[in-house]
Amino acid sequence: MHRNRWFIALLIFGILGIGFADTAMAKRKKKKGPDGRALYKEYCKPCHMADSDNGEYTPMSYIQDQWTRFFDEQYEETHKDVLDPNHDNKPVTEAISDDQLQSIRDFAINAAADSEHPMTCG
Amino acid sequence: MLKKTILLLGVFSLGVALSGFAGQKYSHQEYFEHYEGTKTCLQCHEDEAKSFFHSQHYQWKAAAPNVVDSHGKELGKINMVNDFCTNPVPNWIEKTLNDKGKVLELGCSKCHAGRGMLPSSEMSQQQLENIDCLICHAHGYRRDLYKNEAGEFEWKPILWKNPEGMDSVAKRITKPTKVMCLRCHAGSGGGPNFKRGDIEYYLSEADYDFDIHMDVDGNDMNCIDCHAGADHKIPGPGADIAGNEMPEKRVLCDNEECHGNAPHEQALLNTHARRVFCTACHIPEFAKEDATNMKRDWSAGHYSEAKGKYTYTGTFEKNVTPAYHWWNGKDVNMQVAGEAVKTDAEGRIMVAVPVGSRQDPESRIFAFKKYEAVMPVLKDKRWILPIQTGDFYKTGDMDASVREATEEFYGIKDAQFDWMPTIHYMGLFHEVTPAYSALRCLDCHGPDTRLDWKALGYDKDPLGAILMAASH
Ligand code: HEC
Ligand code: HEC
Ligand code: HEC
Ligand code: HEC
Ligand code: HEC
Ligand code: HEC
Ligand code: HEC
Repeated sequence: MHRNRWFIALLIFGILGIGFADTAMAKRKKKKGPDGRALYKEYCKPCHMADSDNGEYTPMSYIQDQWTRFFDEQYEETHKDVLDPNHDNKPVTEAISDDQLQSIRDFAINAAADSEHPMTCG
Repeated sequence: MLKKTILLLGVFSLGVALSGFAGQKYSHQEYFEHYEGTKTCLQCHEDEAKSFFHSQHYQWKAAAPNVVDSHGKELGKINMVNDFCTNPVPNWIEKTLNDKGKVLELGCSKCHAGRGMLPSSEMSQQQLENIDCLICHAHGYRRDLYKNEAGEFEWKPILWKNPEGMDSVAKRITKPTKVMCLRCHAGSGGGPNFKRGDIEYYLSEADYDFDIHMDVDGNDMNCIDCHAGADHKIPGPGADIAGNEMPEKRVLCDNEECHGNAPHEQALLNTHARRVFCTACHIPEFAKEDATNMKRDWSAGHYSEAKGKYTYTGTFEKNVTPAYHWWNGKDVNMQVAGEAVKTDAEGRIMVAVPVGSRQDPESRIFAFKKYEAVMPVLKDKRWILPIQTGDFYKTGDMDASVREATEEFYGIKDAQFDWMPTIHYMGLFHEVTPAYSALRCLDCHGPDTRLDWKALGYDKDPLGAILMAASH
């Protein structure tokens, strides 16, 4: 029997909901992360690597609340007088634009020590 | 309980005195000041810790009434050899790095709710303190492998050097949410969705099209809404987990408190449900976000430049169509370690094959992930063998990796082995899609069927037979 005949046969049977499952799901969009990771690597990491005198800071050093507090209350104060040798010796707060800082902030909060991640083996 | 109350009163008055009750942010805000490991929780929850100690989640084994020929043995990961990561005992805790310092494996204890010790059958203070309560009860908890003072590896919160952050996380206590269960279950088999196919991390942000039960903007069910247990026993082991610590409590879609057995207006769908289990029509595909491992040939090891390690040859697929198989909803043929392998008609070791047939009125057609692998088997005795996977990933020396694991697990030195294929059916019960996407008549009947009618025990498509008869 051909497909059409199956359809007709089923119609004759008077059965609703024939045909195939509609599995074409709405395409789920992947959130595209800002380039915060790269910016963090370029602007923050050189001063905050393991064994750095300035203290080691990765996004996982803090929980989200602590990062929020850092960016809201501390960053300006503790970094405005620190000169960044990798960026023309400008003060850190000037070397990094507001937009860039926002991306770095989003990245740090998203990857903070209390952000949720599945555990896999390696 | 009295102890709990007295302690609580103490802690409360302390809390009130110190903070004037400012900002009760988290459930356990006032219950303790600093988290000092599990012993902090034991002060008030010794009973719960004891119940957890006895659970399948801690012991990794339980009575196995549904495993054919289990002979009353307790079975589970700890004493079986499966065809994903084989057995956890030789791979318990270790940090395997490649030459570039990349982490290749941290050991199977990664998915054990303990801080690094193997579970013991003897309860002790040490064992109770080994339980990692936070992995199932604290929001935002993450852990990693660190060396302790004795130079041994141990799972510790990544915040262990940040007391303010640590205390905040340890006080955010609730019953387990789905994210907490997914921490382990989404990564089983060695990577995202590798093993199950229908339990992927995306469930933590799923919409209605993806999963009508757990969708975050709608029903937003948690795992324990269906897997509702007590005393740290969690019901619902499905079709390929040997242990069943709550056999009296079935978790199934047609339970009276869920949908019952006649949920449709169309009678024909309800009559179908007597022979076709709900999942067969309502889980049209799985692995919708992360590809799942469909085949794993451990005998065909090779070096992967991209992963920086030696690895098995694997096949991964997305949007997979389930396999359909009869199951009586209970019994499963499973390979028990230390017994000669049992094979199916095609000579494959039955790591997990559901019992059921068209002739058995209790059986229904369920949706499965059908997984196949190639595993080492001991010459002479024909026992299925484990692999020291960390060593293999690093060195690529499979012979040594099998021998080492075999010695550790079975106590057999210099094992001689050959390779055999395995077959492993895994029930699909998650990622149920909306009614509009349930299978329709022509998905199963007609020329483009997804069912193998012959293999299911039918001469031909039963609807086709009726139509033929009617058109003559
Ligand atoms: C040029 C070097 C330099 C750069 C670039 C830099 N920092 Fe710092 N950072 C410091 C110094 C110096 C301190 C203060 C150390 C101290 O006083 O103990 C500090 C302190 C911190 C602290 C501790 C909290 C505080 O406020 O004292 C954090 C967190 C931190 N930095 C994060 C960052 C982040 C995020 C970036 C990128 C946006 C960044 N730092 C870029 C030098 C740098
Ligand atoms: C000072 C006593 C005390 C300590 C210490 C304590 N708890 Fe509790 N916990 C309680 C009490 C009392 C309740 C029940 C009242 C409530 O629901 O808030 C409770 C409830 C719970 C619940 C049930 C939560 C729910 O939403 O139903 C969990 C889970 C829990 N505790 C885990 C822990 C863990 C894990 C720790 C260690 C980090 C811990 N508790 C430390 C007293 C304590
Ligand atoms: C620390 C990792 C981990 C976490 C967290 C975890 N599981 Fe498990 N779960 C396992 C492992 C490993 C097994 C297999 C145990 C065995 O071999 O018997 C398992 C088995 C199961 C089983 C089948 C066997 C049984 O115990 O009935 C169910 C159902 C289950 N888990 C559900 C859950 C739910 C629901 C949650 C969240 C409350 C959860 N798991 C959290 C690791 C975990
Ligand atoms: C594998 C996940 C898991 C781990 C690890 C775990 N629990 Fe639970 N816990 C659960 C689940 C699921 C429930 C809810 C159902 C139940 O009571 O079994 C629960 C419930 C509780 C409750 C509430 C009991 C009630 O009757 O309301 C407390 C208190 C608790 N757990 C404390 C602990 C403590 C303390 C630890 C560590 C010693 C711990 N849990 C470890 C999964 C876990
Ligand atoms: C809508 C109900 C429902 C929800 C929600 C649910 N499950 Fe299940 N789950 C089931 C059913 C039904 C089974 C099969 C039980 C049986 O036959 O013993 C099952 C089986 C399992 C098994 C056994 C292995 C397997 O896949 O067959 C595990 C593990 C599991 N579920 C984990 C989870 C986790 C983790 C979550 C949350 C992310 C979850 N479940 C949410 C219904 C549910
Ligand atoms: C033969 C395939 C098939 C089987 C088996 C099946 N269903 Fe359905 N189900 C459907 C279809 C098709 C629809 C959509 C009906 C419609 O839109 O009119 C549906 C709709 C539903 C609905 C939505 C109800 C409604 O009226 O909109 C629920 C709930 C449901 N099914 C649950 C179940 C449960 C529980 C089982 C097992 C007892 C089951 N189904 C077995 C095909 C099936
Ligand atoms: C998941 C696959 C599946 C879907 C979807 C499905 N069927 Fe069936 N159907 C079966 C199976 C399996 C049988 C055989 C059941 C048995 O052995 O009693 C069957 C049997 C039948 C029969 C014969 C019943 C009898 O008593 O011999 C008819 C008629 C039928 N289906 C019509 C339909 C129609 C119409 C639809 C759409 C509404 C449909 N089926 C959807 C799998 C399916």
